[in-house]
Amino acid sequence: MSYVRVIRLRKIGDFLLNAIIVLFALAPLLWGLSSSLKPANRILQVPPELIPSEVTFAHYETLIENQLFHYMANSAIVSAATVALCLAVGAFAGYALSRFAFPGRNLVMLAVVTVMSIPIASLLVPTYTLIANLGLLDTRTGLVLLYTAYELPIVIWIMFGYFNTIPRQLENAAMIDGYSRFDALRRVILPLAGPGLIASGLFVLTAAWNDFVVAVVMTSAEAVRPLPVAVYFYLGFFGREWGPLLAASMVSIAPIILIFVIFQKYFVSGVTGGSVKG
Amino acid sequence: MRAWFQRRRKGASRADADAFALRLVAPALLIEFLFVFVPLAVGLYYSFHSVRFFQVGRFVGFDNYLSVLTSPAVLNSFAVTAVFAFGSLILTFVVGFALALHLERDGRVAVFMRAVVLVPYVISMLVGSLLLKWVLSQDSGVPQTVLGPLGIADFSVFADSSSAMAALIYNAVWRDAAFAMIMLLAGLKSIPLELYAAARVDGASPWYRFRRLTLPLLKTPMLITLVRLLMHFVNSLTFQLILTGGGPVNKTETVALRTFRLGFEDYALGRANALSFVVFLINVCMIVLLVKLFKPTEKLR
Repeated sequence: MSYVRVIRLRKIGDFLLNAIIVLFALAPLLWGLSSSLKPANRILQVPPELIPSEVTFAHYETLIENQLFHYMANSAIVSAATVALCLAVGAFAGYALSRFAFPGRNLVMLAVVTVMSIPIASLLVPTYTLIANLGLLDTRTGLVLLYTAYELPIVIWIMFGYFNTIPRQLENAAMIDGYSRFDALRRVILPLAGPGLIASGLFVLTAAWNDFVVAVVMTSAEAVRPLPVAVYFYLGFFGREWGPLLAASMVSIAPIILIFVIFQKYFVSGVTGGSVKG
Repeated sequence: MRAWFQRRRKGASRADADAFALRLVAPALLIEFLFVFVPLAVGLYYSFHSVRFFQVGRFVGFDNYLSVLTSPAVLNSFAVTAVFAFGSLILTFVVGFALALHLERDGRVAVFMRAVVLVPYVISMLVGSLLLKWVLSQDSGVPQTVLGPLGIADFSVFADSSSAMAALIYNAVWRDAAFAMIMLLAGLKSIPLELYAAARVDGASPWYRFRRLTLPLLKTPMLITLVRLLMHFVNSLTFQLILTGGGPVNKTETVALRTFRLGFEDYALGRANALSFVVFLINVCMIVLLVKLFKPTEKLR
């Protein structure tokens, strides 16, 4: 076989493999999207239509009548507050770990890695017990504090790694010029830490927006119910009426997919959390 | 707030630096203490008492632990968890590794493909499982269309225990192979290309290069990936809660789901906390392993 033919065959093989990967990864989403746009009687049709011959937004309208915007607003408020709190608290802690050999530093590092590893589900029952005793059940504040506690370690870890790449001479120079330690951090270092803050902020935003398990346990009132819990309740409410259910799913993932497409490279550093040093 | 940070601005002594650093980490430590360590303590306290709804009763020693660990439902859930976690672990790791090797080289196509693979991972687990539940259910018409030609058109995936478990594992691989891929890609990137070039000059075949270079140099990232995946699968709740609901009967009810039901459906908070602690101890073993791999207590540069 000639070299050219081998390369050509390889290219065709690669293309087919990629096509299969795309199909497996995205088919459920596209299928859900297509079905959410079909009229109710066409959704359950066998054999199903891949592309709806008749497009309707009726299911999305049903959702709007069922307080969709209210749940979205709850999710948005909780996510935004969690991101703000996580970044404010996490950036400072990451900076301290990166720059100072203070007593107890190793212990703090150990705590960060440990909490980062504790699976949230294993804390669910004890945390519910505590939150109920504190009177924070059914509050957005409770959700924000819990998400912050769970996502803070990864923020600290990412920021720690990022601050390590910024030379210390910068603060030293700023302090010689008369800045206090805190001003050197605030005016010189933080503005340079943008990419680290974006990466950790996106990670926290996604986690808070997507969370279902914590929210379903800690909230029951409609007033504070976030979107994923609402989708879960729609599952009980609409039963086998898949139209509104799939439409709600699409609404819930659309913002995350949009953010992901725009900021893809920042996501990756969040997922690995700088954990792979080889 | 600024005043607090600037209280000791004069001088640059060691003690001053230490105090500054401690003030910077204090808020983070406070939050972690309140919402991670205090719950563990409260849960531990509950697990040794008889609890009816929120009324903590008398001290019962290890009664809750005994009743949980001898209950057939819990023992069943441990067996189910083992099947689900190891099945998902092996398949997710293999698929993730294959994807990492396939998409290793940077290029427009590889970058695009990595993004595609990551989509199931970045969307919420709830929606992911809900979409798969829809696709695999008879309502969507997909199983009938696919299985019809095989003559088993009324086969219901969620009514049979093996196929329900297979669906769960499929859900896990679909979502988390991307995680394994990203972790392993980061590891692959850290291997210097010169090593491959040198091996090639010495006439090493691709398979030999993979076995004698890639695998040994990737050991730590592979172990970290495996442990993180295993912890994720042992504790995952959303897959089971949404996709199968633990059914048929309790054939896919994992420990996480059993604990959830004990706590939030039966409101048996004493026993639920006891079971949480048993699972937590299993997690601690894995965490110790992870911390050893991370080496967070290394000296400051």
